[in-house]
Amino acid sequence: MAAPDLSVKLGSVTFKNPILVASGTFGYGAEAKQWCDIEQLGGVVTKSVSWKPRMGNPPHRIIETASGMLNSIGLANVGVHTFVKDKLPYLAKFDTKIIANIAASSAEEYRDVLEHIEAHAVENLAGYEINISCPNVKDGGLSFGTSVERTEELTTLLRASTDRLLIIKLTPNVTSVSPFAQACERAGADAVSLINTLVGMSIDIYTHEPRLNTVTGGLSGPAIKPIALAQVYQARKSCGIPIIGIGGIVTAEDAVEFFIAGADMVQVGTANFVYPDAGVRVASGLAEFMRSQKIERVSEFVNSLRVRAELKAAGW
Amino acid sequence: MGDLSSMTPVASGLSIVTKRHVIAPGLVTLRFHNPHIARSTKEGQFVNVLPKAGFLDPMLRRPFSVYWTEGDEAEIIVQAHGRGTGILAETREGELLDVLGPLGRPWMIDSEDYMTAVLLIGGVGVASMPMLTRALERMEIPIQTFYGARTKSLFALDHLQNLHLATDDGSEGYYGSNVMLLRSFLEKGSLESPKIFACGPTGMMRAAQSLAAEFGIPCEVSLETEMACGIGICQGCPVLNEESVFQATGRRYRLVCTDGPSFKSEEIVI
Repeated sequence: MAAPDLSVKLGSVTFKNPILVASGTFGYGAEAKQWCDIEQLGGVVTKSVSWKPRMGNPPHRIIETASGMLNSIGLANVGVHTFVKDKLPYLAKFDTKIIANIAASSAEEYRDVLEHIEAHAVENLAGYEINISCPNVKDGGLSFGTSVERTEELTTLLRASTDRLLIIKLTPNVTSVSPFAQACERAGADAVSLINTLVGMSIDIYTHEPRLNTVTGGLSGPAIKPIALAQVYQARKSCGIPIIGIGGIVTAEDAVEFFIAGADMVQVGTANFVYPDAGVRVASGLAEFMRSQKIERVSEFVNSLRVRAELKAAGW
Repeated sequence: MGDLSSMTPVASGLSIVTKRHVIAPGLVTLRFHNPHIARSTKEGQFVNVLPKAGFLDPMLRRPFSVYWTEGDEAEIIVQAHGRGTGILAETREGELLDVLGPLGRPWMIDSEDYMTAVLLIGGVGVASMPMLTRALERMEIPIQTFYGARTKSLFALDHLQNLHLATDDGSEGYYGSNVMLLRSFLEKGSLESPKIFACGPTGMMRAAQSLAAEFGIPCEVSLETEMACGIGICQGCPVLNEESVFQATGRRYRLVCTDGPSFKSEEIVI
């Protein structure tokens, strides 16, 4: 049997494999270069970038919890001007796709950042992931991410500014993800990515103080994988655009679960903090899995969950 | 769940533990085989170590200064104070550690603003001091070591020199803090053009910072903090810059992992 074909197509863009590294877990590429062969990744989603540089939150920004971690980084980033001057040209040297993640506190700021990057685009810039789901800043995009109307308006606005991939990153901190995925589809997004972190907290029982500076933070890691899978499945049932699954993926087997639940691609996030080459490990493990299962293309098992007819009929 | 330890590491190294030495209950040194780390680590650099390779809880690595290197082997010193370090301290000879490194920047020993190196150590802050001592010896810089611990049994004295010990319970050396002991030397003027290299609990580091300011001597502190990646990606280990540094650089924070772990004491808020 021929080697499995890991390439996937999203809109008009072909990725060499369906494994991306998640925003905020891989910097702007240079940080991990020593430890990870970037060209083995399907693509790099860059650290969120805003119009102006952001200093980030005071310590403590990170607390480990059971099979996961809480973070409250506060979107620390270099700002879009340094991003297009230094970071984007660096990543342009690699044979992989770049997805620029954008965070902002107003619709205009999202648009300005996107248009500034668009004006300085490099050849392998595949598109944008719009962070409307950061739980750790008071003036952040979560006010968009928890309102269906504002999600749709913002997506419509940004759609007019680019022909590249427009991916909206959704939050799990809502009653149901379905109307948000549908709003993104209506407004012309190419895909949705989910999930961003879940709001969580941890307490020092001796001082009675929260262990994170901002009291609550975003929970990520293997602890959230079952939640992420359920949300991807939910989104898959309710919208027709591609889905990028995120949440606690550490191994190829984790990624395959997301594909079966309905994801077209996946992002490896927190695992990069433990293994800077986690994305590459997942990609090579996926090829191995496909060989062993005699699967030629990823699309053969995307959205292949077997749910009994009577369960489907009952709304599961 | 797939077994991560069976996958081929790229640069992070599965390293076999060749020696486990118990200094005191809950305080051990672990020696492991890793030629890259053993041969390239400089004094003050650290490694990020997974408590149990391939498991998901604890999930994150723990940072440790490299305590010693010899040939193809390197050592860390581990004090069990939480779940991750507790598991790590129980690692046996023949078991595997997953070690990423060397990381961070070395102690700044090349600065020409001192003639005597004063090593100010609190407890397990001793971790980077044997490597520092060896580097200073090679440069023929005189060393005076002020080492404080809760009690006598918790000293790890290997590879150190010119020791002035202090204990909280008076079981060995000076009865009180090593900072007070150092102060008495500074007041007597018996240290020629000193520079402090400090590592220990936060209280000791703050005291070192004020002592250095009071006597107008250079001081470098090596910080320990919660950390996830250790390589500058997660932005999880910020240290607050002094206002003057912020004004000069525009940076409110630096990262302990890639900008440190050691900093000039007058440049940061501890």
